[in-house]
Amino acid sequence: MIDEFATVEGRPGYFKLLALMGLLLLLGSAAFLYIEWHGHGSTGMTNTVVWGLPHVFAISLLVMASGSLNLGSMSTIFAVKNFKQFGRFSAFLAIALLAGGLTVLTLDLGRPDRLLLVMMHMNFRSMFTWNVFLYSGFTLLCFLYLWSMFQYPKYTKAAGAAAFGWRFILTTGTGSIFGVIHARDVFHSAITAPTFVAISLTSGTALSILLLVTTFRMTGRFLDVRLVHALRNTLIFFLLLVLYLLIVEKFTQFYSPAFYDVEQWILTGSYAWLYWGGVVLLGVIAPLLVLFNHQWGNQIGGILLAASFVIAGLFLFVAFILLAGQSYPFNMFPGYELSSVFQDGQEGSYSPTLVELLLGLGGVGVSGLLYLLGIRFFRLLPQKATAPEGWDVAWHP
Amino acid sequence: MTTLDRRAVLGLGGTLAAGVLLAPGVSLLAAPGERTEASASRRWAMLIDINRCTPDCSACLTACRKENNVPLFGEPDRDIHWIRKVELRDKDQRRPTVSLPVLCNHCEHPPCVHVCPTGASFVRKDGIVLVDEHRCIGCRYCMIACPYKARSLVYHETRRSPESNPNVPIRSKGVVEKCTFCVHRLDNGLQPACVEACNSVGGGAMLFGDLNDPHSEIAKRVRTVTSQTIRADLGLKPRVHYQGL
Repeated sequence: MIDEFATVEGRPGYFKLLALMGLLLLLGSAAFLYIEWHGHGSTGMTNTVVWGLPHVFAISLLVMASGSLNLGSMSTIFAVKNFKQFGRFSAFLAIALLAGGLTVLTLDLGRPDRLLLVMMHMNFRSMFTWNVFLYSGFTLLCFLYLWSMFQYPKYTKAAGAAAFGWRFILTTGTGSIFGVIHARDVFHSAITAPTFVAISLTSGTALSILLLVTTFRMTGRFLDVRLVHALRNTLIFFLLLVLYLLIVEKFTQFYSPAFYDVEQWILTGSYAWLYWGGVVLLGVIAPLLVLFNHQWGNQIGGILLAASFVIAGLFLFVAFILLAGQSYPFNMFPGYELSSVFQDGQEGSYSPTLVELLLGLGGVGVSGLLYLLGIRFFRLLPQKATAPEGWDVAWHP
Repeated sequence: MTTLDRRAVLGLGGTLAAGVLLAPGVSLLAAPGERTEASASRRWAMLIDINRCTPDCSACLTACRKENNVPLFGEPDRDIHWIRKVELRDKDQRRPTVSLPVLCNHCEHPPCVHVCPTGASFVRKDGIVLVDEHRCIGCRYCMIACPYKARSLVYHETRRSPESNPNVPIRSKGVVEKCTFCVHRLDNGLQPACVEACNSVGGGAMLFGDLNDPHSEIAKRVRTVTSQTIRADLGLKPRVHYQGL
């Protein structure tokens, strides 16, 4: 079932991709230096919308990092042995995505030169502090998991189980950065963190499908279509989970008149297009429609299209949480309309600048570069990914 | 490169991650240092009588900017505001429009302090919430958490000018700023600049003092008049009270 693992060959296509990712990294570095020199005044951020496009990239990459461990967990924890051949790929991809996300997150700080202070002075009430431990712990566990798969298979189960448990806490921690903030009506909710976990499951699976199919095709390796179909089934299940959480959240909010204003704003206000178009339609409904379609759902092209929708949906979900969450005006004096020179009572506005986009893409460059170097220098992928005769996942949507 | 070398690379990566994970724990052993000489027996607070605050008066704003070297960049959504006037219009038009100053509420349970990863935002012994500018990494999480929009990021470089107050640092690019209740003045027995200006050239709407001192004017007033705080429902116990709201 598991063919021999092998590094990929350095073909022209590989080097073109490597150069592209390197270019993104260079542009991101230039953007960082530009922001560092000119201050955050060179971004579109304001004193109302203080987290912008770089954070959308960073958090999306971090959420996908957690989700990309799905394939490894499926074999190690849930004994789906046919995915064991993707375990190394899965753990390495998690590290690569985490590195990209953290790079953007730290380089967007107002004072990135003081980053070490995060490790020297810790406030354990802060979700950020917890996330420092969660991210570094996750990286460590992924390395151990990877190492065990390479050299000490008898420890793979233990390392995989630890990484699996940690990833849930990790994404809960990421979602809790928003969920615990009482002041922000749009994202203060106990269900925000579980929704982040669910979206990490969808986006991580979707990215794994995209990368596996693309990598195997570009390197001329064989990938059994039944493995992709099995991942499609998993993706459908995760998408339904996200849809369920979105519905439960709206149902709960609309049950209380106290939330009518904010919920009405979410569904009909200036960011409604992002919620309906991005989170609901592109992120959940469109991929489900494609995957449930008799023809598209069984074709690799259709599955890749749905996976692309899911990843775009993740970015738009994070963008919605961040931008709508900050733009919705504070209700400091209920019953009154507010105005001031500090935009009290007004919706925040935000127009990202090119440097922010480049900084965010720099994070994608870091992850992409690490992934490409990883498959070139480490034996992360099998030469041939097959499933045994008789393994039947022939569920036809 | 041999296979062994690649394993070594993986091992090194894991070791680095372990280092990053464990290094922070070292600081747990360090005893927290004393930051100020403030007295824990005091609880500084402010009472603002909005009936005395007129819409056209901005004495408190001007005094604050001058005292604390708070510049105006000329970009409305990026200017730094330690204190600002907010106009309130009753949606049902049953109550008259009022104008009142809003500043950091120096909460007893400040969410900005809770979320700050480095402890740059902290509560002084006397209850004043401050930002250690040298420890702030500019992550802006405190701005997300504060329900009063009391904090501003310094988006641009600022420079000292001949008009700058030499007793107060200039605002530092990339860090988050907020009202300090003019802590440098309090420590010298003076009132905050906004309060002093309000009582000298303004309408005398602001009263500042020690809530823990039962004989202080503010303690008496808070006991005897009807006052309220902003977003009391959040349970933060703000120390800026409003009378006549």
